[in-house]
Amino acid sequence: MHPMIQVEDLVKRYRKADRPAVDRISFAVDPGELFAFLGPNGAGKTTTISILTTTLAKTSGIVRIAGHDLDRQATEVRRRIGIIFQNPSVDAHLSGEENIRLHVALYGLWGYRPLYRAMPAAYRTRIEELAAVVGLADEVFRPMRTYSGGMKRKLEIIRSLMHRPGVLFLDEPTSGLDPVSRASLWQYLRGVRTDDDTTIFLTTHYLEEAEEADRVCVIDHGRIATIGTPAELKAELLERTVVLDAADRPALAAELRALGLDARPDDDGRLHVAYAGPTAQALMARIRTPLTVLRVHEPSLEEAYVELLRTSAARAGVAPQDAQEAAA
Amino acid sequence: MTTIARAVTTPGEGGIGSRLGREVNATFAIAWREVLRAIKSPSSLVFTVIFPVIFMGVLGGSIAQNLGSALPYAYLPYMLIGMVANTLYQGTIVGVTNLVEERENDLTAELFVAPISRYAVLLGKIVGSGLASLISLVGVVAMIVVMQIPMDLGDLLRVVALAPILALAGGALGVFFIGFVQDPKTAGAGVALLVFPQIFLSGALIPTAASTGILGVLAKLMPMTYSIDLARNIFYAGKPEAALAVLHPLWLDLAVTAAFFLAFTIVGTYLFVRTDRNR
Repeated sequence: MHPMIQVEDLVKRYRKADRPAVDRISFAVDPGELFAFLGPNGAGKTTTISILTTTLAKTSGIVRIAGHDLDRQATEVRRRIGIIFQNPSVDAHLSGEENIRLHVALYGLWGYRPLYRAMPAAYRTRIEELAAVVGLADEVFRPMRTYSGGMKRKLEIIRSLMHRPGVLFLDEPTSGLDPVSRASLWQYLRGVRTDDDTTIFLTTHYLEEAEEADRVCVIDHGRIATIGTPAELKAELLERTVVLDAADRPALAAELRALGLDARPDDDGRLHVAYAGPTAQALMARIRTPLTVLRVHEPSLEEAYVELLRTSAARAGVAPQDAQEAAA
Repeated sequence: MTTIARAVTTPGEGGIGSRLGREVNATFAIAWREVLRAIKSPSSLVFTVIFPVIFMGVLGGSIAQNLGSALPYAYLPYMLIGMVANTLYQGTIVGVTNLVEERENDLTAELFVAPISRYAVLLGKIVGSGLASLISLVGVVAMIVVMQIPMDLGDLLRVVALAPILALAGGALGVFFIGFVQDPKTAGAGVALLVFPQIFLSGALIPTAASTGILGVLAKLMPMTYSIDLARNIFYAGKPEAALAVLHPLWLDLAVTAAFFLAFTIVGTYLFVRTDRNR
């Protein structure tokens, strides 16, 4: 199976920049995969996505989208991708529908007509369907000037799905959306993946969205810090722990010490004990002190991400709080 | 937005198959977008209509009253034709150079990730800006009535029919300009420098036949000089004052306008695309 996105030794050095914004990164994304591309601000995410979507020239490296070389077959690449931009790229002078009509003309889906009523029935049906899906049915003909940030985002979503792209680049697609709209969008995107086998390349600051990615790639200082499934990242970066407490805390602590286990108390005095293996069953079977609290803590991707950036910052000699701020 | 159903319509049934067809369709769509923007922007609409009124009514009127009698031909029709050509030419320049601001505000991202050539984007912008600048002619036509300028409708329509050539010529200069300028503030100031000297040096408003020295050289260097003179060649064709009001033969105006168009378009498009992607 050929990858849908193939990146080899990609480098981008901006003019007058001290160091490359993207520094020899390589990865491949399979057809139908949800690939989350994460990193703090300034890590190189937007630079990478700009190169992959043909709006920025790379300094060196090889990029293929759907088997087409980015340099020699840029038009073929563009025909196969859809994009939701970080900053809405909509014309405020036009109505929502006029923005979409421009889009479908640019992609050659339908011949452009100056009036909506003159557009083919298939276009009108599709726009009505998608507008209903994202909850813009009543507003799609209103001027963009009257749209809120969330409404503009919804319009971009409609627009990006009009031509059923093979690869959908989502650059922080849910920023500015309310929780209900965000959930609905993800439900729709799951449907797109299932039905059309659409590959999704996602950047987001909402790490719970990246939890359902097939793979996560973290970029930091222009280099890939790690890549793998969310489970692999969590296993690699964080210990799985159980949180324990007992009416007789000193006895519990003594028993854990006797078992050779490292128990770290939290602010409430509860003990966190790391365990290996797929479950905490073996550990629990060894503890005899009556427990008042027993909770298995499954680390989140966000925790793994923050830990990764902390480690990366420490290696680079940056204060940990800077890394945390960057991750926030 | 609580119920999600997958859209089932297949897009692009009857979609445009040939690459040329897609490019033409996209060019038309981009051009029409410019027209819509012009129509839906009341402030710029008022400005574009008032601009020729000020220049023709105030400046042109003053020149006509104080200096017009010294000319061997009627000044008001001469000035009117110059302003018609100027309006179409300059309007297209301004429209095309808006790309710099649109690029800064991420409005062009949608255009530049679409599967069409940069030439289609720029040509659409030129055609659309040219069409939008036709709206400005409302002000010019109003001044014909207000200033009681003797004008044959057929003569005027023949000049207006030159609109595509004038728009392409002005648009090419705009493309050339944005090939060098990436900053919106610089572009704003630069457009003024591009527009106003040409109004005065190209003969749009003030005759330049007697210009000598540096002013004479500048008049010959101004690309708009030849577009304005082209319009006057058409207007004065067959009229006795043609030899006095027109600077160059028709073929020369056409050749120089075409040469400027090709040079500006090729160099400007190359630079614009290169600077856009090679940051």
